[in-house]
Amino acid sequence: MSIPTAPTLALVGASRLHGEGPQAVRALGPVSLEIFAGELVAIMGPSGSGKSTLLALAGALDRPTEGRVLIEGKDLSRLSLAELASLRRRVIGFVFQDLNLLPGLTAIENVALPLELDGCALEEARGRALEELERVGLRDLANRFPDNLSGGEQQRVAIARAFVGPRHLLLADEPTGALDSVTGESVMRLLKSQCARGRTVVLVTHDAAHAAWADRVLFLRDGEIVDETIAESKLPRTVSRDP
Amino acid sequence: MIIRNSFLAILSSQPAHGYSLKSSFEASTGGAWRLNAGQVYSTLSRLERDGLIQAADDDIPERRPWQLTDEGQAALSTWYETPVDNRSTRDELVIKVLVAVAAGERDMERVLQTQRSATMRRLQELTRSKMEMPDSELPELLLLDARILRAEAEVRWLDQCEQRLRPTWQGAAS
Repeated sequence: MSIPTAPTLALVGASRLHGEGPQAVRALGPVSLEIFAGELVAIMGPSGSGKSTLLALAGALDRPTEGRVLIEGKDLSRLSLAELASLRRRVIGFVFQDLNLLPGLTAIENVALPLELDGCALEEARGRALEELERVGLRDLANRFPDNLSGGEQQRVAIARAFVGPRHLLLADEPTGALDSVTGESVMRLLKSQCARGRTVVLVTHDAAHAAWADRVLFLRDGEIVDETIAESKLPRTVSRDP
Repeated sequence: MIIRNSFLAILSSQPAHGYSLKSSFEASTGGAWRLNAGQVYSTLSRLERDGLIQAADDDIPERRPWQLTDEGQAALSTWYETPVDNRSTRDELVIKVLVAVAAGERDMERVLQTQRSATMRRLQELTRSKMEMPDSELPELLLLDARILRAEAEVRWLDQCEQRLRPTWQGAAS
């Protein structure tokens, strides 16, 4: 008998309200979803539809007013502050549209930082950071400061940092928003390859072409998931003619 | 006209027989457009009639390849110099949405979302194909880029429709 694996991320009837009583504004929910290891999931929707709120709940940056958020089967509302902090250091990585890196640290120092904060010895942290930079194709630029990296390279460093050490759940808010479309696409390709290694990516984007790299695209409207498209099996090798 | 001009373009690099024109055309369009023999030969006979191609000198008359004439070369240059007019006024989706709005369809949200879902799924499929395609397959890659960008434009247009129509359907609901 096989034991079912808990989803990497689950929201169960999760809502986030701001304010109380009749004046309360519902930013999100109720939303239920499960995201499993190795999945790349994109969240789309108009401004104010609850995308960033969902990401904040998923990353334990905010708590739901109702319902539950579980990471690897652990109900976040039952964790102590110390346990939550540890989860954010060891499981979850974040990437935003920009300003991801500390300007005073080199690429490798930026990537090693979460490990050092987690008590990892300097040399070991640097070694693992270099390994992660190699995976994103930036080993040769490890000693550069963010100012001397292109926008696409900075996002690659941010992705390396988000996945360094044991971290395996990446939450990204418009990670391609500040990039041109070809560079944005290379970032999506990198995220996709990370998922092929068993890592999990949840990404908020308004760009349909980038969202299309995802296995699943969730569409939010007024705080609720109103649609979900799942990538079908691959197209035949030769594309058919348009009607 | 596209087939006719494409044949002129292919013949501008070297003389060719009907069958190899067909194969070259299909290869250069990434397999997106297949021709039948009838189309190939009727196109060639019209090109010959108009003096744009002629049979090249060869030993065996019935196996002579086609080559461009000076007039054919000039026609090709004109084609390259003329921008394509892609302003379609009869895009089925656009017309469908316009007609639905004009008819006062109450559930525009569903109409738009159904299309959005389908286009998004198509975009995912196209992207899947692109993920697997080596950079060396240039015609296929360029073709996929074109289809991806068109699908993306459609999603963006649907998003804009929703944004513009939203105030009207919220008003209707209250």
